[in-house]
Amino acid sequence: MTKFKPGLVHTPVTPFKNDNSVDYATYTKVIDFHIRNGAEALALPMPSGEDMSLTDPELREVLKFAMGHIKGRVPVIAHVSDAGTSIAIERALHAQSLGASAVVSHPPYFWHPKPSMVVEHLVRIGTAIKTLPFFIMNPPVESVGTTLSTDIVLDVIGRLPNLAGVVDASLDFVFMEEVMCNGRPLRPDLQLIAGGDFMVSAGALGGTGMFSSLSAIAPKLVRSLFDMCKMEQFVEARGVQENIGALNHAIKAAGSSGLGDGLAGTKAVLASMGRDCGAPRPPVRRAGEIERGRLLEAIAAMPFLKDEPRGW
Amino acid sequence: MKNFNLHGVMQAPVTPLKDDFSFDGDGFAKMVDFHVRNGAPAIAWPHHKAESLNLTIAERKLGAEIAVKTVAKRVPVSIFVGTLSEEDSLDIARHAQKIGADMLLTISPYCRRPSQEEIFDSIVRIGTHTELPVLTYNSPWRNGEGVEFTAELTKRLIDRLPNYIGMKDASFHSEKFLEISRVALKMRPGFSIIQGVEHLLAAYPLGACGSFSSSGAIAPNLCNKFYASLVAKDWVTARECQFKISRLWRLFKEQYPSSLKGAMIMMGRSVGPTRSPLPTATKERVEFLRKQLEELNILQTEPHGW
Repeated sequence: MTKFKPGLVHTPVTPFKNDNSVDYATYTKVIDFHIRNGAEALALPMPSGEDMSLTDPELREVLKFAMGHIKGRVPVIAHVSDAGTSIAIERALHAQSLGASAVVSHPPYFWHPKPSMVVEHLVRIGTAIKTLPFFIMNPPVESVGTTLSTDIVLDVIGRLPNLAGVVDASLDFVFMEEVMCNGRPLRPDLQLIAGGDFMVSAGALGGTGMFSSLSAIAPKLVRSLFDMCKMEQFVEARGVQENIGALNHAIKAAGSSGLGDGLAGTKAVLASMGRDCGAPRPPVRRAGEIERGRLLEAIAAMPFLKDEPRGW
Repeated sequence: MKNFNLHGVMQAPVTPLKDDFSFDGDGFAKMVDFHVRNGAPAIAWPHHKAESLNLTIAERKLGAEIAVKTVAKRVPVSIFVGTLSEEDSLDIARHAQKIGADMLLTISPYCRRPSQEEIFDSIVRIGTHTELPVLTYNSPWRNGEGVEFTAELTKRLIDRLPNYIGMKDASFHSEKFLEISRVALKMRPGFSIIQGVEHLLAAYPLGACGSFSSSGAIAPNLCNKFYASLVAKDWVTARECQFKISRLWRLFKEQYPSSLKGAMIMMGRSVGPTRSPLPTATKERVEFLRKQLEELNILQTEPHGW
C-alpha cells in the first residue's frame, strides 16, 4: 500500500542549553546540517535525540518546530515510542496532524508484556494513523523493555495494512533473516531498515534503508556505506563498515551509560568538530575530562574522518 | 601452523544412535562419508546437534576416531572438546591430537557465567595443552549468560596463542561480529570466523569464511549452491538459498536436534532416536516434516539414502 521508501534516514541529536532546555536555535543548524549532508529523510526525536529525556509537551514541540523548519525539504518520520499505548497513540495522531510522512514506534518501553499485548500496542498505534506508513522498531540488545520477535512482526503484518516495514537496531542476523524470509511472502513490499549504522548485513538480507545517528559526525562515511549497500557491493563495503564500527565503538565506550547509548560520546565529538550541541540531558552523564580526552584522541587517530565536515 | 583455508558450508554430523540408544559407530561412519562425498569442505563433530553433552567421554573419543579414519584426510576434521569439566576437555584434546584430528573447537568454561578472565585462563590452558590449531566457540546469550568472546578477549588470545586460528561465532550480531572480525583479521590474516549454523548471508560480507551446518544432512546441494552464490556475489540466489535454509532451520530448532533426525528419516538416512532429556521426533512430527520438505522442494531435489 505504501510507496514511501525512506532510504538513508538521519536521526539527529537534540541540542540542549546549559540550563538543560532545548536549544532551538542550534536545532535549526542541526537540521540544516543533516539535510545539506545527505539525509534523504529525518527520523526524530529518536533515542539518539534523547526522546526519553523529553517530556510529552517537549516531544510534540520539538517535532512541530522541526517540521516547521524543514518545510518539506525531506520527509519526516515521527518517533512516538512510549510505555503506555494511549500516550503513544496521541503522539502519533499529533505527528500525523503536523504532516509527518510516517510514524515509527518501538514495542512498549519498560514493560515486558505478553507477545499478544505487544502486538496489540503496535496495532493500536498503527490503526490510529489509518493509512499513514507505520514502521516498527526492534531496539538494541542492550536496551531495557521488550523486544520484537519474528512472530510479533508477522502478527502485526497480518493486522496492519499500513505496516511499511521493520527498523532493526537489534542487529540480530536471525531476526532480520526470519522477518524477511517469513514476512515478505505476507507483504511483498515489506521493508527492512537497518537501525544503527550497520547496513551490510541488513542489506545483504534485502534491506533497503538505514537509520543513522553517526551521520551527525561522519555524514560522508555514512553516505558511502549506504551507497555501496544500495549497489549491492556488500563485500566491498566491509572496509567502510569497519571504519564505522571503529567510530561507533569509540563513542559507545565513552561515558557512563550502562546501555552503551553513546549519547555522551556523540555530543563530546560533535563539540570537538565545531558543532556544539551541549551535553546530554540528565540523567545521562556528560563525558568526564579524562574519558573525553581519550575519546578525542581515538577520533583523531581515525584517518577516515579527516574529510568529514567541521563546523556547521 | 598448517593453513587449512577453512571455507564454505562445513558439515557438523549428527550422532546416529541404535534403537536402544547406544552409539551407532557404523551409522556414524556412513554419516561422515555421506557429508564428504556431498561436498563438505570440513567435518566438525560432536557439536550440540550431535548431542555432545549426552555422549560419554569414551563415546566421544570413539566417534572422533571413526571421523578421522572415515574422512581419511579428504577434508579437515575438527573435534569439539567442550565438556562440563575442563579436565575432560583436556583429555579429549590430547586424544584428538594423538589420533590425527586436524583442529579443536572449544568453549570453556562451559555451562556457567564465566568472567572474561576465567574464559581467557581456560582457553589458554587448553590451547597450550595441544599442538593442534584451536577454534573457540563464541556463544553469548542475553543478560551476560553464556560464554562470550569479546573483541578484546579475542585480541588477547591471539596475542597469547600462536595456534588460535579461528572462531565459531554464534553472536549472530552485526556489531559484535564486526568488532571481532575488525580486530582479529588485522592481527592474524586468515583467522577463520565461522558462523554457527547457517545464518551466513548476513555474516559473509563482514568477513565470515563459512558456517557449520545443520541443514547439510538434509540438503547438501542447497548448502553448496548457497556458498557458491556468496562467492559469486550473486545476492539474488544467495537470498533465495538463505531464506530456504532459514525455513529449514526454523523447523529444526524446535526440539533440536530431534526434528533434524526426524527429517533425515524422510531423506532415507535414518539415524535413530535422540537421547533423553531431548525428545525423539514422534510419527506425527516426522509426517509434518515430510510435508514441509516437500513444500520446500527438498524432498524432490536432494540426495536420498546414503
